[in-house]
Amino acid sequence: MADKNTEKTNINSPIGYVVGGGLKANLHIRLTVPAYSVQEGSFIVIKSGDWQFYSIATDLQLGAIDPRFADDKMENRLPPNIVSLLQDQTLYTNLVVLPSLMLESGPKLNSPEHTLWQESIDNGEKEQPRPLPVKTVPVHHAKAFLANKGNIAEIFGKETVDGNFVIGHTREQKHPVCINLDKLIQRSSGIFGATGSGKSFLTRIILAGLIDHDQSSVLVYDMHNEYGLDDTASDTGQNVIGLRSAFGRTKVQIVGLGSSADIRGLSPDFNLTLSYKDIMPEDVEMLTRELNLRETTAATLDALVQKFGRSGWFSAFKSMKHGKMIEQDGKLTPAPDSVAFWANQNGIHPMAAEGLHSKLKRLFNKPYIIENPPSDSIQAVTDSLKKGQHIILSFGKFESDLDYLLISNLLTRRIRTEWENMTNQFRNGKVSEPRQLVIIIEEAHKLLNREMAVQTTFSTIAREMRKYYVTLLIIDQRPSQIYDEVMSQLGTRICGWLGDDDDVHAVLSGLAGRDALRGMLARLQPKEEVLLLGWGVPMPILVRSRRYDADFYKEIKHSIKRKFDQKTAINALYPD
Amino acid sequence: MNDITAGRLLRSNTRGCVVGCHVSQPAPVFGSMINIPTKTGKVFGLVHDIHIDDDGLVRQLAAAGNLPDEVILDNRINRNVPVEMSIIFIGYSIENKISHSLPPRPPLSLDEMYICDPEDLRNFTNAGHFGYFRHVISRQDIPAGELLSAHLQAASTAQKVGGNPNWINEAIQEIIILLRDNHELMTNVLGAIGDAFPA
Repeated sequence: MADKNTEKTNINSPIGYVVGGGLKANLHIRLTVPAYSVQEGSFIVIKSGDWQFYSIATDLQLGAIDPRFADDKMENRLPPNIVSLLQDQTLYTNLVVLPSLMLESGPKLNSPEHTLWQESIDNGEKEQPRPLPVKTVPVHHAKAFLANKGNIAEIFGKETVDGNFVIGHTREQKHPVCINLDKLIQRSSGIFGATGSGKSFLTRIILAGLIDHDQSSVLVYDMHNEYGLDDTASDTGQNVIGLRSAFGRTKVQIVGLGSSADIRGLSPDFNLTLSYKDIMPEDVEMLTRELNLRETTAATLDALVQKFGRSGWFSAFKSMKHGKMIEQDGKLTPAPDSVAFWANQNGIHPMAAEGLHSKLKRLFNKPYIIENPPSDSIQAVTDSLKKGQHIILSFGKFESDLDYLLISNLLTRRIRTEWENMTNQFRNGKVSEPRQLVIIIEEAHKLLNREMAVQTTFSTIAREMRKYYVTLLIIDQRPSQIYDEVMSQLGTRICGWLGDDDDVHAVLSGLAGRDALRGMLARLQPKEEVLLLGWGVPMPILVRSRRYDADFYKEIKHSIKRKFDQKTAINALYPD
Repeated sequence: MNDITAGRLLRSNTRGCVVGCHVSQPAPVFGSMINIPTKTGKVFGLVHDIHIDDDGLVRQLAAAGNLPDEVILDNRINRNVPVEMSIIFIGYSIENKISHSLPPRPPLSLDEMYICDPEDLRNFTNAGHFGYFRHVISRQDIPAGELLSAHLQAASTAQKVGGNPNWINEAIQEIIILLRDNHELMTNVLGAIGDAFPA
C-alpha cells in the first residue's frame, strides 16, 4: 500500500477510494494521499464501472480505527518506522464529497465492449452520453481522482466553444472553468460577496465577457461610477480598465444623469434627463420608505392622477403653492393655486396633500427632472439597447439612495414596457426577435428587499421577464435582505466570501446539497475565490476567479480575433 | 537445506507438536522456524516454547548442594529425559508448493525435525502474503508478540541477505492490519517488535 504521508499526488493517480455514504449523506472517500493535497471545494471524479461521477469536496474528516490509536502518542514507545506503519493503518482521512452529476463513460477503452458501445452510439441506437443529475452511487472501493482539464471541460464546456467564457480556474490544478454566457443570460443571476471580496472586479469580468460575446445588450446602473471609465483600485492602487475604455464608444456608451453631468471630470456620451411627465405615481409610491410617506399618499396620488392625468400630475402638483392663503370675506382661505385649495376641491384632506407636497420637494428640486428636456433621453437609452449597444448609466454626483431608486426603477419600467411590446409583436410575426437585455443592479437589496420588491419592476423582471428577453444581474453584499421570491428565481449564483450566516443561507436557498455547501461558502478566501451555483452551472464548483487586468483584455481581444470570420464580414459588406 | 536433525517428534496434533532432543543436539532457539519432513512434503512450524523437565535424580542432585562439575555434566549429557520443544504449525509444503494453512495431517511420532536455513526461511516467507501470521495471532496460549518478534528478526535477516530489505516493513504492516481491532494485543506485539528492531 502506498504511504499516504509521503506519496505525491499525481494527477492521473487515484487519491482514494469510496468507503461509504450515499446520495443524501454524501459520499465518503478514504484518502490514500496526504490530507493536505486535497482541499475543500476540489472537483473530484469517481470512476465506477461504466460511469463517472462528478462531485465536489465538502469536508475532510480525520478518523481512527480505534479512538485509542488517535489518542495515544506512540512516538515515545515505538521506533519511528513502526509508528509510521501503525499510523498508516490505523489513522485516516475521509474526504466527504457531494455527488452532483454522472456520465456514462462506457466499457474500458480499446476493449471490444467499448467498440460495440461506441458503435451503438454512432448508429443512433444509444443516446449520446451526457452529464445527468446523479441518481445512483458508485460501488464500494471505486477509485476517486482529482479532476483533470478534460473532466472540467466535459462538465463546464470547452473554452474554445463560442459562448463559453472562462470565469476562473480550479484552485489546485488551475484548470479553466467556463460559464455558458448564453445560458447565464436566460435567467436572472446574482453576484454576492461581502464588501472587499471582489464583487466589482468579478462583475467587470462577466460584463466584459457579455459585451465581447455580443449576444445581449447590457444596462448597468453604475451607482458608484466605477464600471465605465478607467479607475484606480482602492487596495492595490493599480489602474483598473473601464468597460468603455476597453470596448470603445461604438459598443459601450456612458450615460450621465443630469444635463450637466460629468463623471470624474469627463463628459458622458449623452445625458439622461427626465421630463415631468415621466414621473408616475408608482415611482413615488416606491419611494415610500426613502421619503417617509404616509398611508394617505396613495389616495392623494390617485386624486392627482384623476384630476391631471398620468402625464400631467407631477407638473401640476409641483406648481401648486404650499400654504399660500388669501383673505376672503375677512377670513384667510387657501389660495386657488395652493395645495390645500386643490385638496379641498378634490375631497383630500389638506394636511395629507400638503404633507405629500412637502415631502416631494426633494423630487421637485432634482435638477435632472425638468419640464421640457431637449430630447427623450429615456427613449435614447432604450433605442441604444435595442440596437445592441451597451449602456453604463453613471449617477455622477447623484449618489443618494433616492436618486438610485427613482432612476433605476423608472428606467426599468420603461424598458419593461418596450420589451414586452417588442416580444408580443415578435410573437405575432411582425418584427424580428428582440435583443436579449441584461440589467445590472448594484446594492440590489435596496430595490429588492421584502418591502420594495412587490412595488418595483425588478421583482417582476426576476420572476417573469425571462420570457420577454430581459433578465437581471444583481450584485449585493447582503443577499439575506433580498426578497426570498426573487432569490429563488435566480438561475446562476456567483458567490464570494460571506461572513453572515443569514447571507450564506440566503444564497443557498432552494439548492440541493446546501447543507454541505454552507461550510464551504463560509470558508472561501476573502478575495478571488468564488463558488458557482445554481441552474446556470452544471454543478457547484469553487473557482479562483480570473484577474481583471491588461492580460485579461489581451485574451478577450484574442478571442475577438478568433471569432472574426472574414467570409461573413465580406458578405455583410458586399451582399451581391 | 540443513540436514542435521534437531530432534524427534514426541506428540502432535494438527495445530502443533512437541519435539524432544538430547541436550547435546543442536537445538533450535525460541522463535526458530523448523520443518518436519513427511511422506508427502514438509510441515513448517515455529518454536514457541522450550522446556526441560525434571526427574527424580535431578531433584536429589539439586537438593544435595556442592556438586562437582563432572556430576553436573554427566547428568546433562547422559540424561534420559529429553529437552522438549513446543512447536506451532504455520504451514506445509507438498511437492515444494508452500501453503500457509495448517497441515492436512500432523507428522508422526519420532519424525525428525530440522532447523530451517535462511533459504528455507526466504522461500516460506515469500510464499503467499503472510498468511501464517494468523496461526500465531489466533493462539492465546502462546506469547504472540515475543514469538513474532523473534521470528521477524530471523526472517528479516534472511530477507535482507536475499535482497529484500523492505520485507520487514511489509510484515509489520500486515501484523498491524491483523491486529488493528485489538488495541491491547497490537500494543503488546508492536512493543515486542519495537524492542527487537530499535531505531
